Amino acid sequence: MKPLETRLARLALKGDQRAFAEIVDLYKDKLYHLAYRMTGNRQEAEDVVQETFLRVYKNLDRYDENQKFSTWIYRIATNLCIDRLRKRKAIYSLDAESSDHEGLDGYAMLPSDGRTPESELLLSETQRLIHEAIATLPVKYKSVMILRYLQELSLQEISDVLDMPVTTVKTRVHRGREFLRRKLEHKL
Amino acid sequence: MKCNVAVVFMHDYLDGDLAREDTLQLQQHLKHCPACLSRYESLERTDAFVKAMPMEKAPDNLSYRIMKSLPSSRRPAAWTSWVRRHPAVSAAAIFMVVMLSSFVSMWNQSQELSVSGPDLEHVVFEGRTVIVPAGQKVTGDLTVVNGDVQVLGDLEGNLTVIDGSVKPLASTAHIAGQVKTIDRAVDWFWYKVSSYFGTLAYGS
Repeated sequence: MKPLETRLARLALKGDQRAFAEIVDLYKDKLYHLAYRMTGNRQEAEDVVQETFLRVYKNLDRYDENQKFSTWIYRIATNLCIDRLRKRKAIYSLDAESSDHEGLDGYAMLPSDGRTPESELLLSETQRLIHEAIATLPVKYKSVMILRYLQELSLQEISDVLDMPVTTVKTRVHRGREFLRRKLEHKL
Repeated sequence: MKCNVAVVFMHDYLDGDLAREDTLQLQQHLKHCPACLSRYESLERTDAFVKAMPMEKAPDNLSYRIMKSLPSSRRPAAWTSWVRRHPAVSAAAIFMVVMLSSFVSMWNQSQELSVSGPDLEHVVFEGRTVIVPAGQKVTGDLTVVNGDVQVLGDLEGNLTVIDGSVKPLASTAHIAGQVKTIDRAVDWFWYKVSSYFGTLAYGS
């Protein structure tokens, strides 16, 4: 018997709206969490989740049942997040260090997270520091780290989602981990 | 073991991807290298903190908004895929619809009497009957739609009667061309018969 999601996807393809609603319920929190960590912004996270489900709905007939449904839906959501981050980067060039403000990159020059509603739900200083450290990860490490740590995907699954070799995923996990360590080691 | 190898092993270990023997080697190295031990502890802490980040839940009404944002129905897609699978039947169906609609519109518009021909001056109308009076000479063709024709005089051309009849020719009558009657009801009947066989063939 096929996995639950695959059966739901089939029903949804035949026009069963309730089956699709079940898919939404199964994945909305996971995708929201993913998108929120990727974009660092609740509104954008909602937009990404909504767009992801819309794409899933429109492309149900292209879903290949040989791959896991979760891999497919994570791929769509991750790509949408990466697209947004790239567009944003093109506008602000956040990673470029500014010569006028020594040691500060574009992220530091955005309105501080500490005053925006984004951090209102962060309970502690520790959470805020980690949230910021994740936000400053370069995109290519960020997607890997989030899938690995916050979605608890295996290295193989991440390699399927991001369509890159497992060895590359591994290298990125290692570099991402080192990046976070350097950001956090003197603060925690 | 060199420290740079030890760092790679640390990461593999944290990935749950380090063989048992290598783990033992790493353990030995960490016992003797405080720098690597502190680095490992720092990495382990980072891992633990990141993993401990609370799950962010989607807002309550997000499901509702998602379902509302979907295109209203997939049924049009099913319809088009049926058309794609049955191109011949679809083409035939569209042809029938076009033919039927044009036929119906023609059928409706042509209820009134109309007469055409180059020489209508010598023709007399009596109700729905078109008369070529005795002793009169009509030159050219005469076409009558939705009316009867009575020829008492001369007609120097063809006579065409559509949806009407030609009354028996009087002895004084003379028609130079051909007489032709067309009954569109026959066409209508033919249409009925063919569509009946159409439903037999494809189902209603």
